[in-house]
Amino acid sequence: MGEVFLELKEIKKSFGGVHALKGVNLTVKKGEVHCLAGENGCGKSTLIKVISGVHAADEGEVYIDGNLLKGFGPIDAIRLGVQVIYQDFAVFPNLTVAENIAMNHALQTGKKFMDWKESREIALKAMKQIGAHMDPDVLVERLSVANKQMVAICRAILEDAKLLILDEPTTALTANEVEKLFAIIENLKSKGIAIVIVTHKMEEVYGIADRLTILRNGANVATGDIKDFDRPTFVKYMTGRDIVEANYRPTEIGDEVLRLEHLSRKNSFDDVSFSLNKGDVLGITGLLGSGRGEIADALFGIAPAYSGKIILHGKQISIKSIDDAINHKFAYVPEDRLTQGLFLERSIADNTIAASITDYFKGGKLQYGAMTQAAETWIKDINIVAPSSEPLIKTLSGGNQQKVVIAKWLNTHPDLLILNGPTVGVDIGAKADIHKILHQLAATGVGIIIISDDLSELVQNCNKIIVMSGGSVAVELNSSETSESMLSAMLNGKVEQEAAK
Amino acid sequence: MEKLKKSLKNCDKNTVTLLGIAVGIVVIMAMITPDFLQGSNISSMAFQFPEFGILCFGMMFCMIADGIDLSLVGTANLSGIVAAVIIMSMGGSPVSIIIAIIAAILVGALCGLVNGYLIGQLQIPAMLVTLCGGQLYTGLGVAITKGPAITGLPDSLQKIGNGSIGGLIPYSSIIFVAIAVGMNFILKYTVFGKQLCFMGSNATASRYAGINNLRITLLTYMLSGILAAVAGIIIISHYGSAKSDYGTSYTLLTLLIVVLGGVAPSGGRGKVLGVALAIVILQLISSAFNILRFDSFFKTLVWGLLLIVVMVAKAIIQAHPIKFRRKLS
Amino acid sequence: MKGIFSKKNMTTNEMFVVYIILALSLLIGLVNPAFFALSTVFGTARSMLITSIFALCEMVIIISGGIDVSFPAVASFCLYFTVSIMNNFHIDSVVFAFVCASLFGLVWGMLNAVLIGKFKIPALIATLGTSSLANGATLVYSGGREISNIPNSVDALSQKFLFSVANATGGKSALTVFIILPIVLCFFMHWVLKHTMLGREIYAIGGDANAARIAGINVMKTQFIIYMAAGVLTGIAGISNTILMRNANPSNLMGAEMMVIAAVVIGGTRITGGHGTVVGTVLGVLLITLVSNNLIMLGVPNYWQTFAVGLIIVIGTSITSLRAKKIALSPKL
Repeated sequence: MGEVFLELKEIKKSFGGVHALKGVNLTVKKGEVHCLAGENGCGKSTLIKVISGVHAADEGEVYIDGNLLKGFGPIDAIRLGVQVIYQDFAVFPNLTVAENIAMNHALQTGKKFMDWKESREIALKAMKQIGAHMDPDVLVERLSVANKQMVAICRAILEDAKLLILDEPTTALTANEVEKLFAIIENLKSKGIAIVIVTHKMEEVYGIADRLTILRNGANVATGDIKDFDRPTFVKYMTGRDIVEANYRPTEIGDEVLRLEHLSRKNSFDDVSFSLNKGDVLGITGLLGSGRGEIADALFGIAPAYSGKIILHGKQISIKSIDDAINHKFAYVPEDRLTQGLFLERSIADNTIAASITDYFKGGKLQYGAMTQAAETWIKDINIVAPSSEPLIKTLSGGNQQKVVIAKWLNTHPDLLILNGPTVGVDIGAKADIHKILHQLAATGVGIIIISDDLSELVQNCNKIIVMSGGSVAVELNSSETSESMLSAMLNGKVEQEAAK
Repeated sequence: MEKLKKSLKNCDKNTVTLLGIAVGIVVIMAMITPDFLQGSNISSMAFQFPEFGILCFGMMFCMIADGIDLSLVGTANLSGIVAAVIIMSMGGSPVSIIIAIIAAILVGALCGLVNGYLIGQLQIPAMLVTLCGGQLYTGLGVAITKGPAITGLPDSLQKIGNGSIGGLIPYSSIIFVAIAVGMNFILKYTVFGKQLCFMGSNATASRYAGINNLRITLLTYMLSGILAAVAGIIIISHYGSAKSDYGTSYTLLTLLIVVLGGVAPSGGRGKVLGVALAIVILQLISSAFNILRFDSFFKTLVWGLLLIVVMVAKAIIQAHPIKFRRKLS
Repeated sequence: MKGIFSKKNMTTNEMFVVYIILALSLLIGLVNPAFFALSTVFGTARSMLITSIFALCEMVIIISGGIDVSFPAVASFCLYFTVSIMNNFHIDSVVFAFVCASLFGLVWGMLNAVLIGKFKIPALIATLGTSSLANGATLVYSGGREISNIPNSVDALSQKFLFSVANATGGKSALTVFIILPIVLCFFMHWVLKHTMLGREIYAIGGDANAARIAGINVMKTQFIIYMAAGVLTGIAGISNTILMRNANPSNLMGAEMMVIAAVVIGGTRITGGHGTVVGTVLGVLLITLVSNNLIMLGVPNYWQTFAVGLIIVIGTSITSLRAKKIALSPKL
């Protein structure tokens, strides 16, 4: 690692009275991989936008390559070697790989004419540099998510990037792909490029990052070498709480609610079996692509299983469509609440009854009084912060929005509730509320399955945990027998195992 | 009085604005020419607006579903032609009229079903489907009539479009009001209506919530097809003949009315009352033009201009909501 | 050379249209052998002339993610007002005719650009509005009447031909000099779309407008260029149509929007934007023209023609949309 490339001193930024950054410091050296961590809402995104010139800091100093910068915009940042790769990559699906990679270069150099040969050469050179192998003439829309990310990285390094910022780069990658990405990062690191990885998942960054800065509520809470942080310390700084808390231990385990026998779906998961009793809260984890999300899709009828049995309360059932799932009183709180769970332009009340509209059709018409009442009851019961059920749901915070999504499903009185990443982007208070509700539901006999990559969430809130890998159940544990660090080690081991395949 | 005040306060800004515009037009026209408030004018207005007014509700539902229906006029004409053919071939008896009406509605439903299938199942954009579908249905109408209009429809049929209660309230107006009330009920108080709003708001979330998007789409376009058929029946009874190219300007007019009435082109919301008021406003303007002897060409120009003005106004208001909120409160 | 007849190349959308055109031509030729004559080529080219210009403009707009249904109305406005002005002020100049029509078209194009680019009004609604406005203005001014009196030097252009041949019945069949317009436009557009950054930016915007903004593309500027250029070309198409038809009719171009959009979509341009080629569009126009010109030869009676064309358009656009979806859902690389 060489000299300092990026230095931020006491950066402050507010948006209309809300203090997003309250005096943040950050130092990144050339050839260093620096992890910028924090929960959603801690200020990571705002900080990135300050570094890349999208926002100007209200106070504080930005030094790039030793030079103090004032009033610079995105194009200036790019010229200084700062490149950001956002979560959705911002690539053009209808253009070829070569064109995507060479596009920014062409725009930056103010070209008027398209040189196809040069674009191809540039693209091949960039791909060789990072070890990616793709057909430069294929349209990007045909690529997998991981390869699309490769295209975005190739595009970034072309511009003589000196600082590469990756925003949550491993979210949509499988274990293999994560390994490939890390190899590329090592490669870039050896070339003296400074790298910042923004994340809230420490276990994946363990193998690659050198140093770590943790933000909470817009301020620094910790900085140091990665080896000085273990998981409990990491989480403690991120959330501000000690993680030693009451772990969920059901007072009594009742009859079987759900059992899966040898459930399979080609290319998704294979021979999955487990059972869930009254009072159990089952957690499923594993890296993306391990089958953890695919099981949920199968249970909810989005991508049904091809073979195997699903047994509900002792009776075998068949789930081939979302209709089937709902008819069997299954409920699913999906991963991406903005696109899959919320009707942003509609009221809280509307969002609450969206999955149970038919229940309110009495006497020949919909009963709005009953709908409003139901919504207001849920607002009270789950502690949703809102003046009434009237406001549009887009005015609520992430945590409260998620609570409404959960209320939507609770309003259908489900027998099985599956939640995929239920507390992503949710503040601490709302997280605790959500976990409390889930425990109460489990005690009443509702089957609860939590799919998550937040290991502490699983250890604290589930009494049984399944780790998936490569489409099969790798191990099933009682949470009393394990801990976050054990699970984390297991997952990291899986990464190496799969990469070796 | 208190109830009236309260219900006025509960009305959203858009409805109040429309009411204001309607009243404003009546006042201005009454000042320009007293003929405007004459019974004969009001009566002729009352006979005119149901034709395109009913089409507007069809367009409205499709737009709430985040789609559009550009085939309404084609469907209306085709339905009217089918009805006319049945009536004329059965000698114009009352029975034939009843059968013809049923057949016309079936035709409308079928056209809507085709639209809905292409849009909902094959996922072809609504604009393309209904633009081409309109040509198809019109073409079918031309094929059936072999070109010229079918004339000589019996008086008993013509009573629907031209008759009235006590010489004052046209049957067609009553039909319109009944449909408006029905549409409002469907939209607000049925499961279908509610699910339609959800689907138009976010089709992915709606699917994840267990709403059958395909079913809602099929029903929506079938409904607009049926409404078009009803409009078609009223048209042929009003004019006593069935043509394949009647009302070509109505497509733009319905779009203008629906947009003015507060339905967002991006889908998910709309109020029947808003659209109804917009229908009234456009009818007032149309009659005003007639009285002032502006020809129909002028109407085409003005409808286009109004659509642009309304869209620009909405764009500006949306970009500066705070400024306008303060102004109107 | 090796890849030219590969499976990949032989199953593209454009090739499918070629197969259908070939099949259709054979069919028509079987019924009427006189079809296979140079005069048919000339006649078809003449029919395709104005439609091609419209289609090429529409293609670029749709590639960028927009749509335009106002071009027939704008063309009518430009042609009518140009001829009317020339007659009223006794201007008899070919240059004036084209410049005047272009300027009118430019203004309408600018209106579309402002509504769509600046006010972000959905393109369909905005252009429906301008269509009605332009059409209404033309009709009000003209009273619905056409002008058969075209200034002499302008009218003389309609008698200039590139080639002529004697056709089967002993008469003369000729290819009008105006054919140069769409031919030049084809080459020019192909070059712009494939070899200039402007062209690539148009595709980029159609692919993902947000990503385009982040990459530093000036989306609004590009939109202005597209709609204004389309306006100019529409004006030129309008005045060309008048010269060829030898009268200025305020409304006979109306209704062309559906055929043009259908031709563009059948030719492989996705209505959702981001895809489209000049070759595909020309093939689409050719197909639609062949169909509508020759239905009568295939024994389809007059009054079935609207339906027949409509049916073919619905089937054609459905097939192309389905193919696009299939590609989107195929396994990822």
